[in-house]
Amino acid sequence: MGVSMAEGIERDAGIFLVACICGVASGMFGIGGGVLLVPLLGLFFSFSQHRAQGTSLVALIPPTGLLALLAYARQGFVSWRTGFLLIPGVFLGGILGGMLAERVKPHRMRQIFVGILFALGAWQALSAWRR
Amino acid sequence: MTLIVLLLGLGVGVLVGLLGIGGGAVLVPAMVYVLGMDQHLSQGTSLFILIPPIGLGALREYWKQGQVDLKAGILCALGILFGALGGSLVALPLPSRMLQGLFGCFLMVSAVLLWRKGQLESQTQVANDGRVHG
Repeated sequence: MGVSMAEGIERDAGIFLVACICGVASGMFGIGGGVLLVPLLGLFFSFSQHRAQGTSLVALIPPTGLLALLAYARQGFVSWRTGFLLIPGVFLGGILGGMLAERVKPHRMRQIFVGILFALGAWQALSAWRR
Repeated sequence: MTLIVLLLGLGVGVLVGLLGIGGGAVLVPAMVYVLGMDQHLSQGTSLFILIPPIGLGALREYWKQGQVDLKAGILCALGILFGALGGSLVALPLPSRMLQGLFGCFLMVSAVLLWRKGQLESQTQVANDGRVHG
């Protein structure tokens, strides 16, 4: 862990493989995959935190979830109205967050995010258990 | 209600830029708990939100700082495209409750991975500082 892998084609193949795993999570859980991609790029390929985040954003620009979205839409599992209402906020907030990221220490920010993420996960798992 | 949804989007967006994530990991629980939507419906809607390049503004800020590995990013996009199709085929037949439980576990694992990465990074920093001063 943390040791950089071989350069060149092996590294590329490794990155592609890791992305495939993130993709499975993306389709299963309806997420972009960045939440998994950022730590994995850092752990396996020694990306710095900022570089991992910037690269993850590249991967999220093309409509990578399109095939998965079609599968969900076919079963009626898409609320188009809610989606349209959320998009402008997420876009504008993204610019704001990107500017903030240059100023805030990534270390502190990540600690907070890890806490939020873990709490959300525990909450989701617990409420599924008790339902 | 509409205002809540708009503000929710803005809040998630700040996290997108700050952490370089798509926002889905936060959007899905937010839709389940704040908007009271079903797990499958939240996930499908989250995928829809991620179709337009909502992270473009954030990416521009990172690009200006030279913090982007374009080739790795493109490889990741390709992997995610096909992986996501496979993942959706697994998730769709699952009962909503089981999917919610799995999602929760996934978030916790992601949190631990992020935390672990942070730890490694600060160790490296400390080691480098030691070398400089010692």
